Amino acid sequence: MKNKLFAALGAGLLMAGLAITPSLVEAKDSGFKIMMTPKWTGFPYFELTGEGAKAAAKELGDELIYAGADHAEASLQVETLQNFVTQKPDGIILSAIDLNAVAPVLKNARKKGIAVATYDADAAVPARDMFVNQLSYEQAARVMLDCALIDVPEGGEIAFIAASPTSPNHMAHIKIMTNLTQTEDKYKVFKVVDTQFANDDDAKSYDVAVNLMQAHPNLKVIISSSAVSAPAAARAIEASGHVGKVYATGFALPSAIKRYLENGSEKAFAFWDPWELGYVTAYALHEKMAGKFQPTEGAVLTVEKVGTFKTAKDGEVVYGKPLIFTKDTVEKYKF
Amino acid sequence: MSMRTRTAIPTWELVLCVLIVAAGVWSSKLSPYYLSIDQIFESTRHFIIPGLLALGLAMVVSTGEIDISLASIVAVGTVALSKLAAAGFSIYVAAPIVIVIGALCGTLNGVLVARYGLPSLAVTLGTMGAYRGLAFIVGSEVGYTDFDDSFLWIGSEKLFGDIVPISFCVFVTAAIGVWLLMHRTFFGRHCFSIGLNPDASWFAGVEVVKVKIRTYALAGALAGIAALVWVGQYGSARGDNADGSILFVVTAVVLGGMDINGGRGTISGVVLSLLLLGTIRNGMGLANFGGPTQTVVLGVLLVGGVLRPALAATLARLRRHTSDKQAGA
Repeated sequence: MKNKLFAALGAGLLMAGLAITPSLVEAKDSGFKIMMTPKWTGFPYFELTGEGAKAAAKELGDELIYAGADHAEASLQVETLQNFVTQKPDGIILSAIDLNAVAPVLKNARKKGIAVATYDADAAVPARDMFVNQLSYEQAARVMLDCALIDVPEGGEIAFIAASPTSPNHMAHIKIMTNLTQTEDKYKVFKVVDTQFANDDDAKSYDVAVNLMQAHPNLKVIISSSAVSAPAAARAIEASGHVGKVYATGFALPSAIKRYLENGSEKAFAFWDPWELGYVTAYALHEKMAGKFQPTEGAVLTVEKVGTFKTAKDGEVVYGKPLIFTKDTVEKYKF
Repeated sequence: MSMRTRTAIPTWELVLCVLIVAAGVWSSKLSPYYLSIDQIFESTRHFIIPGLLALGLAMVVSTGEIDISLASIVAVGTVALSKLAAAGFSIYVAAPIVIVIGALCGTLNGVLVARYGLPSLAVTLGTMGAYRGLAFIVGSEVGYTDFDDSFLWIGSEKLFGDIVPISFCVFVTAAIGVWLLMHRTFFGRHCFSIGLNPDASWFAGVEVVKVKIRTYALAGALAGIAALVWVGQYGSARGDNADGSILFVVTAVVLGGMDINGGRGTISGVVLSLLLLGTIRNGMGLANFGGPTQTVVLGVLLVGGVLRPALAATLARLRRHTSDKQAGA
């Protein structure tokens, strides 16, 4: 009995000794455990980013777990992230609801050696290693104006609907678009007449769109960076009998605006490929964990099959591939 | 079996204890990461804020009223704290002010409900929107994050060898305080008697209006404390803080055995139901259950909590039936 005990102890000591042998703690370059949480689960856009990330992880020999609450609430997201950290992953991917509320738990994760990447919506800079940005502000502004040009090539009055005066990306888009209509010949055909706010709320966006059309009889295009407001404006145009006179455009999920494109009341909307955004994010994080990519300014990330991506300052990797949906192309996209 | 024994420990609390153990076993089966003291204490963090609100709501519910504006009061508290922090006040000045602001918001609810006899669901539905709006106007959506470390202490530090979060100690203190108040003082008895029969209580000399207003004020003050914990934990004060958490709070109170019509229930039941809900959510979270699945499980528990009195009555009838038969035989 005693001998057995000693034998077991000896074996245990031997194993402990093996575990701390330096050759076994070398950096690995595959087999990472990545955990990913979107703003909320169940929404087609985020599910596609999850599928893209899973595909990348599979190809690279990593394991990717996708989880999260079913509605967007900062405290639930923090809880999810805390549960992630407990499970000791190598990397975490998230789309932040409140950039500051997630910071403490992410900083703690990074302290434990977990690599953190944000996509879609960034967290506070010190809380993550990199942010894979779908489009730069300038790109977003240009692609929305390009859509407006498809709607009315001869130009005219345009108005904006943003979420709120404090929504950073929406306000930046509007500022750049206004600038472009004054400085760049291609866009000089447009004249900005109004900016309204609708809080990403469907009913509010609808009312705002109706008001805009009443207040500005010569209005040609309503532009919104909100994927809620742009389709609501399209609905308002159709319901108030302005089809052919006023167009809505901006960022919208193809599934939300498909019918307007197909019945001809609208001509073009923009977005990006969520599957590929997820794919590139997981790929970038893998390369970072494997020590093959450092997200410093100017660094270039090469993603096989997809392309190369530049890093801007503060670890912002710009994915930057906008998509424009028209009647002919909208059928292809399933989100 | 002719003699009926009265058990000292209420049966529902026992059932909850058994369920908590079962949930713990289930969770450790679900995830290898569950069973660790560090992890379990860490997970309590996420129940402190709804827990404080549940304690306050339990007091209001004991008198037969309801308050669904508590989560909005938390937001008022966090943005008020951010303004005070920005103005350079120290935490020792700012914290009591925030608790008083919470109590005042609660008092307003209480005055509208008790003095003017308005339906509490309608009143607090209104103030839920009004307080949330106020928080948005004062705090805006950008929020404030430049909190000094002294403001974060309550939500980020740990005691006893870096294991027990301070926020957990705050909750335990609050729970003991509310338990003593509700089960060991005249005030508590008055609350339950009002819940059973407000008219009879009034004839018996209970100051119904005053007692009700006090329960609302105390619930508001606890929401103020919850606001302090929120800022300590997340370091971020925005108008949308704690939005959407009231359903969980109501679930905890109902599942804890508080009669939603007032007059019956215990604070220990509410605390146990929080532990149960916490254990289940922790286990499901560590096993990376999808969000919709988690919501369904919590929803089923809420329905179970609501159906519990009916089920208990059925069981009691069955038992009486069998014991009568035995007595007859």
